[in-house]
Amino acid sequence: MSGGREPIVTVRNLRLWYYTRRGVYKALNGVDLEVMRGEVLGVAGESGCGKSTLGLTIMGLLPRNAAIVDGEVLLDGFDVVKPLREYYKKAKRFRPDKNEDVLKRLHKEMTRIRGVKVTMVFQEPMTALNPVMPVGYQIAEVLLQHNMSLLAKRRLARAKATKDDVKEALNFLRANDYAGLIEYVKAKGLEGLEDQMLAIWRRRDLHDLVKEIRILNMCCDPVNPIIESGLKYTARTNKLPAAPVIRQLVRRELVKEGYRKAAEFLGLLDMPEPEKVVRMYPHELSGGMRQRVVIATAMINNPELVILDEPTSALDVTVQASILELLNELKQQTNAAFIFISHDLSVLYQVSDRIAIMYAGKVVEVGPRDAVFKEPKHPYTQMLMEAVPTLEPHELKGIKGEVPDLRNPPKGCMFHPRCPYAMPICREREPPMVDLGNGHRVSCWLYSGGERK
Amino acid sequence: MHVGGVYKLIAVYINPRLTGAARQQQIQMLIQKFHLNQPIYVQYFYWLASVLQGNLGYTNTPIFSGPVTQAIALFFPNTALLAVLGGILTWVLGIPLGTWSAVRRDKPDDVAIRVFSYTLYGMPIYLIAVILIIIFAVWLKVLPISGTVNPSLLVGLPWYRNGISYPTHVLLIDALIHGDWYIALDALKHIILPSLTIALAVMAGVINILRASMLEVLEQDYVRFARSKGLPERIVINKHARPTAMFPVYTNFAYTVAGLLGGVVIVETVFNYPGIGYWLTQSMLNNDMGGIMAGTLLFGIIFVTTSLVLDIVFALKDPRVRLG
Amino acid sequence: MAKGGLTSRILTPERKLSLQVFFSNKLAVVGLVIVLAYVADALIVQFAPWLIGLKHPFEVIPDYSNPVPQPPSWKHPFGTTYPGIDLLRAVIKAIRLDLGLSVVVVVPGALLGIVIGIVATYFGGWIDDVLMRLTDIFFSVPYLVLAIAIGYALGRTITSMVIALIIVWWPLYARYTRSVTLQVKELTFIEAARAAGASNYKIMFRHILPNALPPVLVQMSMDLGTIMIVISGLAFIGFLPVANIPELGYLTTLGLNYINTAPWTVLVPGVFIVIFAVSVYLLGMGLMDVINPRRRSSL
Repeated sequence: MSGGREPIVTVRNLRLWYYTRRGVYKALNGVDLEVMRGEVLGVAGESGCGKSTLGLTIMGLLPRNAAIVDGEVLLDGFDVVKPLREYYKKAKRFRPDKNEDVLKRLHKEMTRIRGVKVTMVFQEPMTALNPVMPVGYQIAEVLLQHNMSLLAKRRLARAKATKDDVKEALNFLRANDYAGLIEYVKAKGLEGLEDQMLAIWRRRDLHDLVKEIRILNMCCDPVNPIIESGLKYTARTNKLPAAPVIRQLVRRELVKEGYRKAAEFLGLLDMPEPEKVVRMYPHELSGGMRQRVVIATAMINNPELVILDEPTSALDVTVQASILELLNELKQQTNAAFIFISHDLSVLYQVSDRIAIMYAGKVVEVGPRDAVFKEPKHPYTQMLMEAVPTLEPHELKGIKGEVPDLRNPPKGCMFHPRCPYAMPICREREPPMVDLGNGHRVSCWLYSGGERK
Repeated sequence: MHVGGVYKLIAVYINPRLTGAARQQQIQMLIQKFHLNQPIYVQYFYWLASVLQGNLGYTNTPIFSGPVTQAIALFFPNTALLAVLGGILTWVLGIPLGTWSAVRRDKPDDVAIRVFSYTLYGMPIYLIAVILIIIFAVWLKVLPISGTVNPSLLVGLPWYRNGISYPTHVLLIDALIHGDWYIALDALKHIILPSLTIALAVMAGVINILRASMLEVLEQDYVRFARSKGLPERIVINKHARPTAMFPVYTNFAYTVAGLLGGVVIVETVFNYPGIGYWLTQSMLNNDMGGIMAGTLLFGIIFVTTSLVLDIVFALKDPRVRLG
Repeated sequence: MAKGGLTSRILTPERKLSLQVFFSNKLAVVGLVIVLAYVADALIVQFAPWLIGLKHPFEVIPDYSNPVPQPPSWKHPFGTTYPGIDLLRAVIKAIRLDLGLSVVVVVPGALLGIVIGIVATYFGGWIDDVLMRLTDIFFSVPYLVLAIAIGYALGRTITSMVIALIIVWWPLYARYTRSVTLQVKELTFIEAARAAGASNYKIMFRHILPNALPPVLVQMSMDLGTIMIVISGLAFIGFLPVANIPELGYLTTLGLNYINTAPWTVLVPGVFIVIFAVSVYLLGMGLMDVINPRRRSSL
């Protein structure tokens, strides 16, 4: 499943330390990982193993007391942590405010990547959403920032299309001929129309007839000529026109269109009454709805990578199930890669293609999902699998000992204090990552002799 | 004549222009009328009753003698102008400084702003006034320190009679209305220092609250989320962080207004600015009952009304609060 | 190694951490030092003025032979103000008065407010309502104005000023304590205490009070600064009809006529107020850091 694809994210020997009043926490201790395009990589581990930190690092969203001691994070070729690493190597003493300067410059550079190539879904949807802004605006904001031309094109298409144009386009939809639809739309100069039509067509909460009616209504919606020329400019250049009054009018129109598209997307995510929801505030929505809003924000601009940090942990089980279903569908429909971070192995089993197990800031095992779940090689992974309750009763074994204090990590292999197979060498040196074939890799001295399956 | 003790309240109603026997007569009549042979709380009740009927009595101070209602009409507009200008300056200067200080946390700019605001916080208002006077009137000699306008400019003006300007009793505004730019400019010069003093005094609190609130907000998930959308820092700060951080500033505004009003009293006294604060101080110094009673009542009313109005406005702005 | 004995019983790990947190905040330490200096000044002037050679510790002595304010010099390190008053001596005396007055206002006001706040909130019902209305009334007038009004009613003396300010200030503490009491009242351990037979009085003062105390203490220390500012403000506008009192606000008025020629006369007294207010504020912030567990673990 992961063969023959290229990586979109490559992490090499990433080491990250948090400087706090209570000491220096070594949160990441040499993480090596790759995420292939279009796959779902599950990242598992207990609290404090560094999985969330890893996600944030890929996005460059670190707090100012996080120092990148070594390593690289290549996001589509761009090394996200380079400036931070260079600051740390040069600085005689780590100072958070100087680090913050570097971080701010990094934010500036990454504004072109975030929201376009990579987005993130946070754990707590209630805190991730701004409480005093309507949710629709928060979703549309991504497009208003990065892809105004799409919104402009949609609006213009609706203004330009005639009843007949729309009827013909509908025929393509009925025949499931998406390619044909796109060609037709291009030929008629109605780009932007297909985006709207498909969004309606793919919804599952509407009856087919309702869908057809709505699609047929997508024509003959003329726009004030002054605004229209502004919109054409935006459609071409992806920027707002410079002239003062026109600028505001065009922006208002784009915001309206943004709300519209947000509602469409929420409909695709099975949100009831999306047109009403987009004008509501986060506190008026339920947990599942809020998480859908956050997912919509993350996916509306077709990113290449979506990082999900415990997206279901704050929700109850039934809602969790629906969100997972949603994600599986999105997986099919888009070609984005997903990094799904969770401590819940059963959840990860349902969505991942490959899975990585983390412990105390290192990746201890990584490989195709079935390989890791059915034949775990690392002692930690094995114990994790035995600790998960399943439908077939088996003896639930806990793992002895405690997660190490990251201010003083153990020498050698991080897991050796708790490992039942610990050997003298485990106490002395960190085990290298060994390839067991089929993309299944382990970092453990039990296999360092190159033991193959 | 100084009326004291149980009869203190009468002083409010003795027309200061009466003398001798006529005065004695009025006093006797008043004693009868106002039940002054009865305990003080009963008297207070009657005073309140007459207030509600519009009769606030008389005041007798160096700057003004006569009916209280007239005094209010004369002084209140000036104070209102001063308070409004002070409030505007506080807002215009304080909000950006507070935001900037939080965004540039621990940098030299932040440290400078914090030193500035902590020092201001610890300064009595009269000291701020005095320092401004020293800087602008003594060293730089650019601004005047007393009154509302240079009196020599007012000679022979049609809209200024007997020390009162028409139609609004506020020199600055009337000058603008009548198109007299020179006088308006002079009036402006007279009002800058007082309003700046008030603004500085109140700004300290605003900056402190805003800074603390912004720092908290900047740690929040939704700010991180906004950044994760690839929004430029400027938009993250101005559209996401600051609006939410402003709420503690709004809720604390009642105290800010209280500070403003208290400050007005001292500032007007220092700058000889003819507003109700100055009148109140003069009443206090001259034991003028009418002035003090009316002044206290007035300040109370103003404060309650402003707080109420502001509370409502700010509650409307918060989408988490829905009426009914 | 853990040692037994008195030291380790007083210095529990919890308290040690608190001390550490406090002393790591350099600004708070500076504030503490300055506040202690002021307190020392007040105590010396009050009880042992001869230690620093003060013959008239409770009033300011004018020298009419040389009434014009003199600039700072060796003889008069802070200069003199009208009429011939040495500012250094005057300020030393004034600190005692101002600090003393602040304490006399804040401590009784806080006590009054705390007691009323806890009692009224704990019993709830109409008592609580009355309390709220009462505090609302007192909040509805700016404190300076109310102080002036009360001062007028009772006569303009130091005593009446103190009483006026106490009256104006206690509602703040009542409100403060009220919010804490409301939180604590509902906690289960109160129910447990009641079930064990504790009387209302005991519950209020042994359980609720210790919880309410820390933030209130912080507020009290910061209020010392605020009240000093208010007192000097009242003195400045002439509330006290006496001359030659060592009071920082009053001293400022002496120099008002000489702003052009002798700015130090108005600046020196004020500066000493500012120093105190800022120090006490920094001290309060340092204390807040100590009692607020959230702030301890972040950088």
